[in-house]
Amino acid sequence: MPRLAPSLLRQARAIDVLLPPLLPACRDLRSAENELRWLKDHAIKTGRQCGLAHSDASLKRLVARRARGEPIQYILGTEYFGDLELKCQPGVLIPRQETAASVTHLAQQLSKKRKGRPSDLHILDLCSGSGCIPLLFHHEFYAQPGNEHCKLHMVGADISVQALELARRNQKSQIAAQSKRVTAQTTSLAAMRFLHADVLLSEAANAIHAPIGVVEALQQLTNTRPTPAYEVLISNPPYISSQAFRTTTARSVRNFEPKLALVPDNPSSAPSALDGDVFYPRLLALADQLRTEIILFEVADIDQAQRVATLLARQSTWRTVEIWRDEPGATSDEADHVLLDGGESVPVRGAGNGRSVFAYRGAAAAWLQ
Amino acid sequence: MPNTFAVPDYFVSPTLLTRARTIAQEHASLAKRLATDYDVSAARRLGELQSTSTAVREYDEAHSALEELQSLLTSTDQELRELAEEDIQPTRDRIEQASAALKSSLVPVHPFAHLPCLVEIRPGAGGDEAAIFAGDLVRMYKGYCARVGLRSTQLKYDTADEPTHVQEAVLEVDSPGSYGMLRCEAGVHRVQRVPATESKGRTHTSAASVLVLPSIPTEGGGDMGEASFDDPKSDYYVDPKEVKLEVMRAGGAGGQHVNKTESAVRLTHLPTNIVVAMQDSRSQLANREKAWQLLRSRIAQLRREEREEEIAKLRRGAGAGKVGRENKVRTYNWGQQRVSDHRSGLDVRNLDNVMEGGEALERIMQSVRTWMAEQEVLSLVAEEENSQAQKK
Repeated sequence: MPRLAPSLLRQARAIDVLLPPLLPACRDLRSAENELRWLKDHAIKTGRQCGLAHSDASLKRLVARRARGEPIQYILGTEYFGDLELKCQPGVLIPRQETAASVTHLAQQLSKKRKGRPSDLHILDLCSGSGCIPLLFHHEFYAQPGNEHCKLHMVGADISVQALELARRNQKSQIAAQSKRVTAQTTSLAAMRFLHADVLLSEAANAIHAPIGVVEALQQLTNTRPTPAYEVLISNPPYISSQAFRTTTARSVRNFEPKLALVPDNPSSAPSALDGDVFYPRLLALADQLRTEIILFEVADIDQAQRVATLLARQSTWRTVEIWRDEPGATSDEADHVLLDGGESVPVRGAGNGRSVFAYRGAAAAWLQ
Repeated sequence: MPNTFAVPDYFVSPTLLTRARTIAQEHASLAKRLATDYDVSAARRLGELQSTSTAVREYDEAHSALEELQSLLTSTDQELRELAEEDIQPTRDRIEQASAALKSSLVPVHPFAHLPCLVEIRPGAGGDEAAIFAGDLVRMYKGYCARVGLRSTQLKYDTADEPTHVQEAVLEVDSPGSYGMLRCEAGVHRVQRVPATESKGRTHTSAASVLVLPSIPTEGGGDMGEASFDDPKSDYYVDPKEVKLEVMRAGGAGGQHVNKTESAVRLTHLPTNIVVAMQDSRSQLANREKAWQLLRSRIAQLRREEREEEIAKLRRGAGAGKVGRENKVRTYNWGQQRVSDHRSGLDVRNLDNVMEGGEALERIMQSVRTWMAEQEVLSLVAEEENSQAQKK
């Protein structure tokens, strides 16, 4: 990390003595000032709740935590994800803005044409973490006009019990923020479920304590033997390779966020630059078992996006495969397609880094195209 | 009208009087028509004309009373003359009041006067000193709002190298009617003093500009009257297709690799190139809403100015300068501890009280409001004369 200019530190000290310690974590004065203000507000708010008149000492403690690199979202306990304010806690990955942009774009794509679209949509989110994806998808989907009678059946799954608890808490506070009227929107939110399951587990587990596989968990939920169908499969799985984790991942992420949610824990023989890919083949196998027609998988960058797109192309069941950038809806002068190893051309939408892979097949092609 | 006591305060220009009489006539004929045939729109029009009609009647009665008294003054009867002399002054007062009522009944209420407002303060010429003065003005208006009971929140407070050097500040005064109260503050405010940054003790002249914009409620509202922002005809209407939204993201790898909070939003109105950036809140949604609010207000102000430009010639003919951003409106002189407003011509000695937003500031503002009302009447007269000339 480049050293901070002494003039910047001097400037910061002139504004507030608490700013210089924040600079190494924030990097620029602007964000340091913003973060200090948010920390102040938080100190005052929590101080008031405890009946304390002075919040100076607690503010200093918060600043010290942030100065050590702790993510501000863990300190404040929340993060804004799209239009939603979600709870955050150490041990569970903080929702990322880019994920929100992809999910919002997906909700818009699924709302473009309603003719031919089933009146009930089954949506599964694997590696759900804080539950941010199903909660935001729900919010954005019903924000689109014409969707008020469509029912969403949403399930999130995660291997972490801590994440599941947080996801359920987030679901509760979203329910509390909704109107009390019974609509497709409110019943869909109340019916959302978060399951304990291990995505990488392909066969029914014989261990009693370990989490069971995804298909098994879904069968238990619906209490049916034939595997239920999920038209839409979304996932933001751990995708960082062990090499990139050492070189690219920010220190604050490495030191404070759960590695379980970032780097696939798999003793595979893949080289350390590619061992971030292990979830994707497994996700595609699940998509086949669950008769999925639409997928949206988050990826680390354009290279990983191309590798995932190549997997999809090899399956040859997918009618359309697209790569979405950070802001899929924006226009940019970056390349609008990439060529895969097999020679197929895949469109790349939006602006920013390659962020996710989107594909559809079967009946969904009729109403998505 | 034979009136030898005509002094400026009594004086109502012939054109204005003609206009008032035309209105009174319309009022009379409407009242007659409504007696036989009720009609909602006519009844509403009658209500609008009522105050002018009453004012004209009072004005005429006061004048004929004065005439009568004057004829009595020439009377040979000593006692009668003394009685008349006693009554002269109250009658003059009555005329004065009637003239004022007549003028104010003709002054159109500003269409946005009932709205809350945004006060934008930016340094002008004068470098650091101007930026410091901009900060002084922010405190002055905050103090004023607190004192007179207007709710104000700091929407934006951007500083440069030093915390006291304000680059741009926006106060939101969300009490209804605050636009009507504060719109007299728009313009260039000049400061003359020895700056804190000056080592040789020289007096500098710097300036800061104050923009007062009517603020629209965030929800498309009923109390906006004609100024609803969903209505393409309204000044507040901004076509979303003409606005480019940019969200500023952390550079680098993104995704799971970083957890930086990036909620900054920038809106660009493409036809006018007006840019609004907002980053104060952690919520991008909140920043977006604030940015939209500010953008709408700025565009509405621009449109109003464009429209005002069209009738500006008339107003200049009537001696009314435009109260826009280019005119110097007030000077704050530290050396003499004096604040003078260049529009109303009022001088106030109590500089400290003004800078605290105290009662002295209110006095200046009141003088400007009166001045603005007079200018409105003058421009009305100019317009009236112009339309008369066109008829001929």
